[in-house]
Amino acid sequence: MRAFTALAAAELRLLARDPASLFFMVAFPLMLLVLKRGDSGAVPGYLAMIAAIGGMGALPGLLASYRERKVLKRLATTPISPVLLLGAQLVAQVAAGLAGSALLVVVTIAVFGAQPPGNVVLLAAAFLLCSVMVCALGFVIAAVVRNTRGASLIGMLVMFPMIFLSGAAVPRKVLPGSLRQIGDFLPLTPAVEALGDAWSGTAAVFPLLILAGIIVAATAAGAALFRWE
Amino acid sequence: MEVIEVTDLRKSYGDTVAVDGVTFTVRAGETFGIVGHNGAGKTTTVECLIGLRRGDAGTVRVLGEDPARRRRALAQRLGVQLQDSSLPERLKVAEALRLFGALYRDAADWRRVMDRWGLRPLARKAFGDLSGGQRQRLMLALALVGDPEVVVLDELTTGLDPIARRETWRLIGELKAAGTTVVLVSHYFDEIEALCDRVAVLARGRVAATGTTGELVARTGTASLEEAYLALEGADR
Repeated sequence: MRAFTALAAAELRLLARDPASLFFMVAFPLMLLVLKRGDSGAVPGYLAMIAAIGGMGALPGLLASYRERKVLKRLATTPISPVLLLGAQLVAQVAAGLAGSALLVVVTIAVFGAQPPGNVVLLAAAFLLCSVMVCALGFVIAAVVRNTRGASLIGMLVMFPMIFLSGAAVPRKVLPGSLRQIGDFLPLTPAVEALGDAWSGTAAVFPLLILAGIIVAATAAGAALFRWE
Repeated sequence: MEVIEVTDLRKSYGDTVAVDGVTFTVRAGETFGIVGHNGAGKTTTVECLIGLRRGDAGTVRVLGEDPARRRRALAQRLGVQLQDSSLPERLKVAEALRLFGALYRDAADWRRVMDRWGLRPLARKAFGDLSGGQRQRLMLALALVGDPEVVVLDELTTGLDPIARRETWRLIGELKAAGTTVVLVSHYFDEIEALCDRVAVLARGRVAATGTTGELVARTGTASLEEAYLALEGADR
């Protein structure tokens, strides 16, 4: 447990030192909120976006670079278990996303005077599921694409359309019908729904179940496909 | 007492035979050298020793355990420095030592390891900003932070300047004096000669000869380990 905590803490510190992660997970959502004049209706989507940027935008390239530069191989000669090694990456990403999200929610309420979320516990649960889900997808990308540049690129290519079509960056209402239909099949869509429901306080279990299902499927696929070197 | 026993180890990657029946033993407290060409099977042998790979045939025992089955338990007692492995670019020297210390049940005090290897002045420097020699020194220190009984060092002094090399030799001497078993993989013959009690010469996946430098030199009727190596490697061809 001490080893796991030390590793997760080190990874979180590294994320905080990375200007790109810091910008996209903290400053960028705040900028969007300001552009939206503090409209709290957009915030649940932004929370999903923060998670997606970390889990799919950053994580695949990070893991691929650790593999390519033999960081994973070096760690594999220490007593830490490989599962915990990947688990520490996940915890760091989730914690960073949680910090960025908490800041965004606080600013929305404190600066723009929005109503607090209807169900904070459910909102936190939805965010955790959403964050773990996108990280699981990130693991699958890092498992399938072997080199660093490729994994980063594919991560971005998957993440960007997804945040636009799932309702995370812009409301799905404004999308043309055909694009909206694509969104129905994207894993981030139920995450945006779950976060929106929790924000408004109308608890719905179904989107959460879908997220849990995607987590199980993606983790299984990632575990089967992942290569350490 | 034998700390490492490798018996008829074989490993192929597809059609390429990397290790073709390697046998050697390393005694407790010994500094044991493995020399050989690139492609002679050194790295594969080392990776089987530390449990990163499983041989196709033969047995490997390190401290009485099978590394392929008991990698994590063994890792508690093993220190490893791998050829060209690295760390996250933004991780600082002190953080790396503290982190690796936390991965072991009975680690050495990472601050003392940092002082001993002259890394204190670099404590707040990021891995990505270190010179080649500084990186090598850090990776060596990380191999020792778990306070291991057996240390496996692959290409110990590659990238070090002559002064740093001598300093590293001195520290390996200290390890030896403290009773640590050291396996040194190298193609620097002066290093093997200076540090190792016994040497295994690997050629094309096999052990061409094992013995002290003196024995190998006498057996081949040559004047140095390097010449003995060339004679053995040629004889094997």
